[in-house]
Amino acid sequence: MTIPAFDAAQTREWTHRFAESVYATEAELTALDQQAGDGDFGTNLAAGVQAAGPLLERVGARSGPADVMGAMATAFLDEIGGTSGPLFGLLFQALSRAAARSGPGLTTAALAEGVAEGLAAIRRVGDASPGDKTLVDALSPAVDALRAAADAPPAAALATAAAGAWRGVRDTAALTARMGRASYLGERATGIPDPGAVGVALFFASAGETVRALEPHLTPG
Amino acid sequence: MARYFENGAGELVPDALSGFARAHADLVAYDSADGYVTARHPSPMRRVGLLSGGGSGHEPMHTGYVGAGMLDAACPGRIFASPHNRQIFRASLAVAGPEGVLHLVKNYTGDRINFGIAAERLADAGIACSRVLVDDDLASDSDGVAAGRRGTGATVLLEKVLGGAADTGMGRTELVELGTALAGRCRTLAAASAAHHAPATGEPAFALPLGELEYGVGIHGERADRTRSQGQVGALVEDMTGALLDALRPGPDEPVVALVNGLGSVTSLELYGIFGELGRVLDARRVRLARHLVGDHVTALDMRGFSLTLMVADPVTLEFYDAPVHTPALRW
Repeated sequence: MTIPAFDAAQTREWTHRFAESVYATEAELTALDQQAGDGDFGTNLAAGVQAAGPLLERVGARSGPADVMGAMATAFLDEIGGTSGPLFGLLFQALSRAAARSGPGLTTAALAEGVAEGLAAIRRVGDASPGDKTLVDALSPAVDALRAAADAPPAAALATAAAGAWRGVRDTAALTARMGRASYLGERATGIPDPGAVGVALFFASAGETVRALEPHLTPG
Repeated sequence: MARYFENGAGELVPDALSGFARAHADLVAYDSADGYVTARHPSPMRRVGLLSGGGSGHEPMHTGYVGAGMLDAACPGRIFASPHNRQIFRASLAVAGPEGVLHLVKNYTGDRINFGIAAERLADAGIACSRVLVDDDLASDSDGVAAGRRGTGATVLLEKVLGGAADTGMGRTELVELGTALAGRCRTLAAASAAHHAPATGEPAFALPLGELEYGVGIHGERADRTRSQGQVGALVEDMTGALLDALRPGPDEPVVALVNGLGSVTSLELYGIFGELGRVLDARRVRLARHLVGDHVTALDMRGFSLTLMVADPVTLEFYDAPVHTPALRW
C-alpha cells in the first residue's frame, strides 16, 4: 500500500492558493494589523507570496515538494522586511527539510514533523509561548491536529490543521500580548485577533481552497 | 534635515559604507549587494568566524572593528534598526571557519530575532553557529524590564577579547563560555546632557532643560527612568562608577578594564577629564585599573553624552585584550 502524499504539483497548487488567499484578504489583514500591530503585516505577507512567484516558476518539472517549499522559504527569508515574514520563511524551510527526508511525496507524517520543527524554530527565535498572542497560537494547534490526523491523507489532515489554526486565531482575540507585534499596544489590542496567527491559518486553509474573506472565520460558531 | 550632511535621509548609511570601504580598502571589503563588511586579513589560526552587527548610527561600532584580531564580519542595519537576517546569514556563510561562526549580539528584540533567524538558516545549511549575548547596560537592569539589560559599550571590549582568543585557535564552545562569562562581568552606565537629532527631521529625540542630565540614557535615545541636575563632573563620575562597582563587585585581586566612551558630541577634552575622574575614584576605592580606552566607540548619532563601562578582568582576559589588533577604529 502506498502512503498518500502531495506531489510537487499539488504542493505548488497549495502555495498558489495561499498567494490568492493573501491577495484576497490583504486589506482585511492590514486593517487588523493597524489595530493589533504596526500595520504592515498584510503588505509583508503579500510581498512574500509575490517574491515567491518567480522562484516557484523556476522550480523544475522533475523537482519535488521540498523544492517548492524551499522556494517559498527563500522568498520569505530573503526578500521580506520586518520579522514576521521571515518567521513564515522558517516554517517553509522546516517543511522543505521534512519533505526532503520523507522521499518523493509530502506525507501527513512529514507535514506534522515539518510544521512541528517550524514551530520549534519560531519559538526559539521569538521566545514566544502559546498564549502570548503571536502566530504560535495558530501554529501550535495546527501541529496537534496534524499529529492527531496521522492516519489521514494530507488533504484531510491539513483541513483539520486549518480548523485548529482558525480556532487558535479566534482565541488570540481574548489575549493580551506579552511578545511581538501587539505587545506595544497592551490591552488596546485585546479583542483583536493576532494578524500573524491569521496568516498561519490562511496557509493551512489554502491547502483545500482559496480564502476569499477573513470575517467568516473570525466569528465564533 | 539641514543638520546632517547627507544626500537624503535614506542615503546616509549606504554613502557612509561605500566611503568607509574606500578609506579602509587595505583592511576591509564591503559587499554592497548583501550588506556586510568583512576583514581582508584574518588570522589563519582562526577556527571560528566572529560576526556582529546592529543598527547604524553607533559608529565606529561595528564596522570599525572589522579586521585582524577582532571581527571577521559586521552587518550594519539602517539607522537604529536591526540588520536583516539575509545580511547576517550571507556574512556568516562568507566568514564561517572549520568550527562555524560566533554571533555577538546586543540584547535588543530586533537584533535577537534577526540573528536568531539567521542562526536557524545556518543550522539548515549545516553551519555550526553560537551566540554570545551582550547585556551590560545597568540602567535597564530591573525586574520590571522583561527584555533584560540592553547591550552597549561592553560590545567593543568583548569583540576585542574574543578576537584575541579566536586568534589562538580557540574552539567555538570555549569562545562561547569565555564570552558569556565575560559579558556577565561588564556593566555600563550612560548620561546625556542633550539628545541626539533624528536624521529624518533634524529635531532632537527628546527635550532636556540645560543643566539637567538624562541619567541612564540608552544608545538610541531611550529615556532614563530619571533625570538629575548636572553639577560638577567629578560627583557625576563618582556616582556612576560607584553604581558600576556595586553591580560588579570585583574581588580584591581583580583589576578592571575601563571604557570611557563618547556618545557622539562630547569633546575629547571632556572625555579625558572624565577619565581622570574615573581614575581618581578607582584609586580611592583601591580598584586596579589594568587597561583603558578613551574616545568615541559606541555612539548614538550626535548625542551629547558619555558612557562608562567597566569589565572585571583576569590575566587570561588581559592577554587576549593585549593581543595585536588592526582594524579601522582600533589598532595596537
